[in-house]
Amino acid sequence: MQPDPSLAPTPAAPPARLPVAPAEPVLMVEHVDKSFGDNHVLRDFSLALHRGENVVVLGKSGSGKSVLIKCIIGLLLPDAGRITVLGQDVTGLGHQQMDELRARVGFLFQSNALYDSMTVRENLLFPLRRHWLRHRRAEEDALVREVLDDVGLAHTATLMPAELSGGMRKRIALARTLILRPDIILYDEPTTGLDPVTSREISHLIRAVQQKYNASALIISHDMSCVRLTADRVALLLDGRCYADGRYEELAASADPRIHEFFA
Amino acid sequence: MPNYPILAEAGGMAHFAGRFFRDGFRPRYEVSEWLYQCYVIGYQSLPLVGVTGFIMGIVLTLQSRPTMAQFGAESWIPAMVGLTIIREMGPIITALIFAGKIGSSIGAELGSMRVTEQIDAMEVSGTNPFKYLVVTRVLATTLMLPVLTLLADAIALYASYIGLNMRGVTTLALFVNNVLSRLAFGDVLPAFIKTFFFGFAVGLIGCYKGFYADKGTEGVGQAANSAVVVSSLVIFILDLVAVQLTGLLGLN
Amino acid sequence: MSQRTAANHVRLGLFVLAGLACLVVTLFLLGRQQNLFSRSMTVQADFRNVSGLLTGNNVRLGGIPVGTVRRIQLVNDSTVRVTMNLNRDVQPFVRRNTVATIGTDGLVGNTIINLAAQPGAAPPVQPGDRLPGSNPVGIDEMLSTLNVSNRNLIGITQDLRQITRKLNGSDALWQLLGDQGLAADARRSLRSMATATARLDAAARDVQQLTGGVRRGRGVAGYLLTDTAFAGQLGHATRQLAGTSDTLAATLAGLKRQVQTKQGPLNTLLADTAFSRQLRQSMQHVEQGTAGFSRSMEALQHNVLVRGYLKRQQKKQARAALSARPGAQP
Repeated sequence: MQPDPSLAPTPAAPPARLPVAPAEPVLMVEHVDKSFGDNHVLRDFSLALHRGENVVVLGKSGSGKSVLIKCIIGLLLPDAGRITVLGQDVTGLGHQQMDELRARVGFLFQSNALYDSMTVRENLLFPLRRHWLRHRRAEEDALVREVLDDVGLAHTATLMPAELSGGMRKRIALARTLILRPDIILYDEPTTGLDPVTSREISHLIRAVQQKYNASALIISHDMSCVRLTADRVALLLDGRCYADGRYEELAASADPRIHEFFA
Repeated sequence: MPNYPILAEAGGMAHFAGRFFRDGFRPRYEVSEWLYQCYVIGYQSLPLVGVTGFIMGIVLTLQSRPTMAQFGAESWIPAMVGLTIIREMGPIITALIFAGKIGSSIGAELGSMRVTEQIDAMEVSGTNPFKYLVVTRVLATTLMLPVLTLLADAIALYASYIGLNMRGVTTLALFVNNVLSRLAFGDVLPAFIKTFFFGFAVGLIGCYKGFYADKGTEGVGQAANSAVVVSSLVIFILDLVAVQLTGLLGLN
Repeated sequence: MSQRTAANHVRLGLFVLAGLACLVVTLFLLGRQQNLFSRSMTVQADFRNVSGLLTGNNVRLGGIPVGTVRRIQLVNDSTVRVTMNLNRDVQPFVRRNTVATIGTDGLVGNTIINLAAQPGAAPPVQPGDRLPGSNPVGIDEMLSTLNVSNRNLIGITQDLRQITRKLNGSDALWQLLGDQGLAADARRSLRSMATATARLDAAARDVQQLTGGVRRGRGVAGYLLTDTAFAGQLGHATRQLAGTSDTLAATLAGLKRQVQTKQGPLNTLLADTAFSRQLRQSMQHVEQGTAGFSRSMEALQHNVLVRGYLKRQQKKQARAALSARPGAQP
């Protein structure tokens, strides 16, 4: 598991990532089936995410990547199989426990899902509104400032989402997931719709966040530069199954034509 | 099983209403959001509703004057206009205007939140979006429409007084006495109570249409549009039911 | 959430309070109108028919609302008991003998109860009292009366139709109406009638003048007529004359009897030739006397006082005769 320095995504490859393998799994997806009518999106899909690890799920558009991530966070219920997040089976959780679990799992939507009617500050504070997370105003200010510094947008607290550019919105959305200090962050196509430069910035940001918070991340993507920059491990989702699983360079060197077409 | 979209829609709405009563009265309560929605839905609708009420009162008075004058019953105009406004025109016109303004805005707002995954985001961040978005809005419309109707009635009656004074002289005291002389609790209370149901219908249908909007911006437009259409229709149906009920209760 | 300021909460509060104030004021005014808040007492009245009275209808005393109908119940098949809430302020003015009647407010208005004070003293009404109720002429009864009138009217119009039909069928009437000569005759008759009335008018004027003159005491006749003492004497004389003639009649009857029975003094008188000669002499004297009276009257005619008047009368009569002649018309 020793990464090759030449392939390290950032010049400052974090020592925290260095092998303590095999770390405890924080997210286990076991034999999950999910279908919509006749469309079998996931068939016997299995995946494990370990602490401090970035896993990219690679797949074509419409291959069920978003369905997988929504099953993990409990927005969709799998037809069969088990999903264990931080030791708890999400399929059997009550509303209250689910909310508590979700406080430890961040989710970055593909469309950012910033609340249009609220300012950036209000957007960031929204996840804190839950009653067991009440804070005083000074604490809230400190939290907002910190996460905005993390994403490099300290001056935007009073702006509305509509006043921000696409990249800035993505950063704010990331900041909103970070404010709860999640153990796991789920990224749903974080670079889709962004220009290559911004895309790279976001990828670097994902790396930096992983280093700072020692969070595990499950990243859904088909953007190969993002995959290359963020992935510790790549899982290839094909025909609803985990077709291949390995480090980026391993898969890139694969002779299998179905794998190869992604890296071409 | 044959596919009846109307039945499915009605069933979906009934289920939605059931969820409102199940979730709405369980803690925790989104008081601050509810107050804000009351402000937006109630207070900010007042200018529109007020203008409508004013015009309704003055037009009713001026329109009924020639006919009443033919019968030599001009002194009955205040009583007649007062009854018309308080019993029927005030509640129904206000509710329709309200459905047009608030129903569409709720449908569009929730629809776009659904489409841009903001509702999912709320769910994910541990806030029950049903409570935060739907319960607050439905409660706000249910409670604000009666208040708006009362104010619209008052404004319409004042406009009727002005309308009478455009073609003659009537003192305010005489006008009030004329209106009150023909008014009974059976006129005021059923008209007041039914506005709660109108408000509930507008809020619930707007939220339902928005909450389950299809993906895409077209879905948002459809949600807003059908929220207005369906809630206007439901308002008339509820009005019919209210008339029958008050008749059964002997209040007519 | 930046918009959720305290100012907005204040505005929302004002908005809600204004709306609720409208409701509360309306309900309060209505309640006051229906005496919900003033002290009230209940009285009852029985009616045969309440003509659609409803709970909550007004009760009026002298046209002023003083209460409302609270309950209406059937006591038996011909009695409806109405319980009314009366304002306590009017208790002194509602007496025990006040009559409650069912009425309507205007021609098409609500049914109401009118309390009508009756002459005569009575103590003020007490809570729970029963007032005498009276049913006014209801519209139904009015209609039934109207029905009878209608039937009569039908009979009358039928008769009228028969009459007109007969008139239409009558040839005589139509001939009469169509006869030109008749019209001329009628016109002539009318003209004669006009002259006659003119004469009559003149005569009447004469009489008026005469009576006017008499009233002013002109002429001897006037003197005679205006002298009340003379009239009294005349009356007296007449009465005496009547008495005399009675006596005469009795005497004659006696005489007749004596003549028939050939007894008594009359018979001797009749038989006495000397007496008959004397009688003849007496009759001659009477004849001379009346001739003298006639002369005297003639002298009176030529008297200055009366002569002028009689002449004027003659002249007038002559003139009237002249104008009444048909050809003399202008």
